Amino acid sequence: MRGQGYLLAAALALASSGVVAGAAAQDIGIGMIVPLSAPGDATGGQLIRRGAEIGIDMMNAQGGVLGKKLKLFVQDSQGKPEAGVAGYRRLVSEDKVVAVPGFFHSSVAIAVNEVAKEMGVPTMSVQASASEITSKHYDIAFRTHAVDPVRVSTWMEFIKQKGFKRVSLIAETTDYGIGLADETLAQAKTMPGVEIQKVMFDRTSTDLTPQLLQVKAFKPDLVINIGVGQPLDLIMDQATTIGLLPNTPMLISYDAPTRPQFWQLHEKNGNGIYFIAYYSPKSKLSDIGEQFAKAYKEKYKEDPVYGALNGFGSIAILTQAMKTANSTDPKALIKTLETGTYKSWPDAPVTFPRADGVYWHNWVPPVLILHYTAAKQDWKAAEIVVTYSKK
Amino acid sequence: MYSTELVVQTFISGILIGVLYALMALGITFIYSIMRMINWAMGEFYMIGSYLQYMLVAWLLGPDLWWLAILVSTAGVFVLGLFTEWSLLKPIFSKPPEIRSDYATVITLALLLMLRSLATGIAGPNQFTPGSNLPIVMVGPMPLAGARVAAFVFALVALGVFWAVLRYTWYGLALRATSQSRVGVQTAGIDVLRVDRVAFGIGVALAGLAGALLAPVFLVFPTNGLVTTVKGFEIVVIGGLGSIPGALIAGVALGLVESFGAAFVDSAYQNIYGFALVLLILVLRPNGLFGERGREA
Repeated sequence: MRGQGYLLAAALALASSGVVAGAAAQDIGIGMIVPLSAPGDATGGQLIRRGAEIGIDMMNAQGGVLGKKLKLFVQDSQGKPEAGVAGYRRLVSEDKVVAVPGFFHSSVAIAVNEVAKEMGVPTMSVQASASEITSKHYDIAFRTHAVDPVRVSTWMEFIKQKGFKRVSLIAETTDYGIGLADETLAQAKTMPGVEIQKVMFDRTSTDLTPQLLQVKAFKPDLVINIGVGQPLDLIMDQATTIGLLPNTPMLISYDAPTRPQFWQLHEKNGNGIYFIAYYSPKSKLSDIGEQFAKAYKEKYKEDPVYGALNGFGSIAILTQAMKTANSTDPKALIKTLETGTYKSWPDAPVTFPRADGVYWHNWVPPVLILHYTAAKQDWKAAEIVVTYSKK
Repeated sequence: MYSTELVVQTFISGILIGVLYALMALGITFIYSIMRMINWAMGEFYMIGSYLQYMLVAWLLGPDLWWLAILVSTAGVFVLGLFTEWSLLKPIFSKPPEIRSDYATVITLALLLMLRSLATGIAGPNQFTPGSNLPIVMVGPMPLAGARVAAFVFALVALGVFWAVLRYTWYGLALRATSQSRVGVQTAGIDVLRVDRVAFGIGVALAGLAGALLAPVFLVFPTNGLVTTVKGFEIVVIGGLGSIPGALIAGVALGLVESFGAAFVDSAYQNIYGFALVLLILVLRPNGLFGERGREA
């Protein structure tokens, strides 16, 4: 019995070891909400976090902001709106952060913005693309990422270029998946002769064979894989099993294949995949972007991908805004973000105007479609098939 | 409107996943039948089985010895189950029975959180796959991953062995007797706490076996046991808590309902069809297809 008591005590000690001390009073807190565990895309969240952490270190090495050091507080959204909302409340109420960048899953960003508009601390979505995030025109909502209409225009361009006539969308039932599927159906109306099949799935499902059998029966020229994280990988593997891949080309809806983990999971079926990306090494970086890329490579022994670059970019932008406003007050920060021009990782000015529709407070990077033409190909060597910029 | 080929493929897909669901649920119902407690951390033993399989295949044995890795992973989870029962559950099972169920709920829920957090802390949040060299196999008109077919066959064999052990061995007799009357077996001189430990070990080993078998199909990550837990409890409600044949039939029924619902009704609601079946069974047979009415002493 005594031995069992010690084991229980050890277990309790282990369970409580995750508790961390709060920031020193003189620090300026920046919050971050990203998925760090399933069913969220934990790899995506980890990359954004890495970029932000290096950004914080770089800004602090340059003297911090307003004579104070920056400190990053991270909350795991798990890809779930309720966890994201709880994280936001904690960041604002307990950690007293001045802004909350991050956000990978659109559902999380949309849910958090509903609370943020009451609590007043601005959010900055770095990799969540649903239109609703900015189309509601909330003062607190900012974004530095491609929105649904731009992403869909990019793959419609691809469909036109390749002359595809039958296209299957296999999309998760999240704001991200539904938004992209509906936007694709809407844009397809302007492309006579193109038939679209929409197959939806719950992102907690692990056996997607029934959905993929429907897709196969449709005999598509192209399959667009609108899964995020684990579902994306399951679709690829299960599509290979039933003979859909590699016989039918597959386009992945975001830049997951640029991650180092991609070839660990898809050594046998990753060749030939097309994927959306927002950055290519052929794109020119700004001076701070170059500094970041060097620091990232030194720390992680790999080149930064878009998520990490945008995570860094959010910290750089918020730091510049605080300096310009000479304040950490969220209202002053919002005003300054709306009116200023900022430097981030790309060699292009970043602005957040009060623009119409979905482009409210939204800076959109160019969107690319890349193509792996060999197994285990470095994403930097992937063929660029389409480059699309918002008209 | 729908081709015969699609119907047959959907049927095969449903049967295959259904047998694997049954394997996941069997452990829950087996532990309940012996110990009268629900192990809420069952999915985490599935997760540990999948990680063991990944580590053994990727780092030690290689993909050709996947079958050996499955045996070792299952044995590893069995030993972990014995240790868990001895360290966390035995103390309360040595005491009067009134608070056992509450205590077991708290302990297994805490265990669920701890094991999941430990997995994230040790292995990180990323997904892994042990890979498989098994070729794609044609089952009727349906091409299937060799790993999935192997998982199905292994699961059937494991279910057969489990049934034979229960039916034909002395220990199986002791286990069945304990499920009928814990007091009765004690009066016959059987150490019921030892039976509990073995039952818990076997129950979680079944989940670990499912995790190891499905590691190349459904990937390895810290929360991959969640589906096991949810599906497992759906099956237990459909089949009847404590009923082993019920778990088998309900597993296959759930697999078929989900597959046909997703293929022919609306794919977005794949997980809802299972819950609809649960509700239907609760209305028609509140104790499940093979469950018996409970009796309080």
